[in-house]
Amino acid sequence: MSNKELTKDESLELITHMIGQAKRNVAKGGSFYFLLWGWVIMLANLGHYAIQKYDLYEHPYIVWTLIIPAMVASIWYSAKKERAAGVVSHYDRVYSTIWIGIFISIIILLIFMGKLDFNHNAVILLFSGLGTYLSGSLLRFKPLLIGGVSLWGAAVVAFNVTILDQYLVAAVGLLVGYLIPGYLLRKAEK
Amino acid sequence: MSGFAQLDPLLHSQLRLAVMSLLISVDSAEFVFIKEKTGATAGNLSVQLDKLSNAGYISVTKSFKGKKPVTTCSITKVGIKAFEKYVNNLRGYIE
Repeated sequence: MSNKELTKDESLELITHMIGQAKRNVAKGGSFYFLLWGWVIMLANLGHYAIQKYDLYEHPYIVWTLIIPAMVASIWYSAKKERAAGVVSHYDRVYSTIWIGIFISIIILLIFMGKLDFNHNAVILLFSGLGTYLSGSLLRFKPLLIGGVSLWGAAVVAFNVTILDQYLVAAVGLLVGYLIPGYLLRKAEK
Repeated sequence: MSGFAQLDPLLHSQLRLAVMSLLISVDSAEFVFIKEKTGATAGNLSVQLDKLSNAGYISVTKSFKGKKPVTTCSITKVGIKAFEKYVNNLRGYIE
């Protein structure tokens, strides 16, 4: 490509072509996060439930330390993806803003979980549902929209069961809301 | 008066218009990505990016990824306005 001056038609053609080039580069890899966090949080919920229910260990919340390696993996993956693509799309920015916002909300919620009488799991499901629903809308991917609605459904159930059972409800919610749409998304990305 | 507005000479050039069209479609892009998509030589692209940057149409930031220097470009609000004006003027000519 040179510095030559263009005719009006060439200008329009070039604009259309370059916008098309950028579009084709919409980053893939959103499924990685749904699968990673779906598995980690589902297993942590099931672990917490099993340990507390069957009195296997006096500190059942130890399972939540699984989140630390998952966070490291998320940061590593997003850095790697950005390095490989050499471009950040508008979609990437909105997508990460939504999920960082949700992550911060969940951290604040966890700090004050005592004030909610430890019914925080139901609220986390609400936040996760919102993020999944918005991601589905951004990607125009129906299974994620359905996943978001399922997580909201799980939140409604969680508000009506004991704190212990909420862990089980959350695990099912994550299976339906994160893992199933996550695998479908991975298939669609190929 | 002809009724036709003058096309921005800074944008009415093949490589600069390609860069602006690419940058308006993304949040930010690295030099290597722009070079690959436009097929321009590194030297020419550098010069044209400087021109766009001096006009305030794009912002250019230099950073390091490990030991590797990386140049990242993104379109500014001034650049978006200029691009929109250019497209509208172009439309005026064609309609």
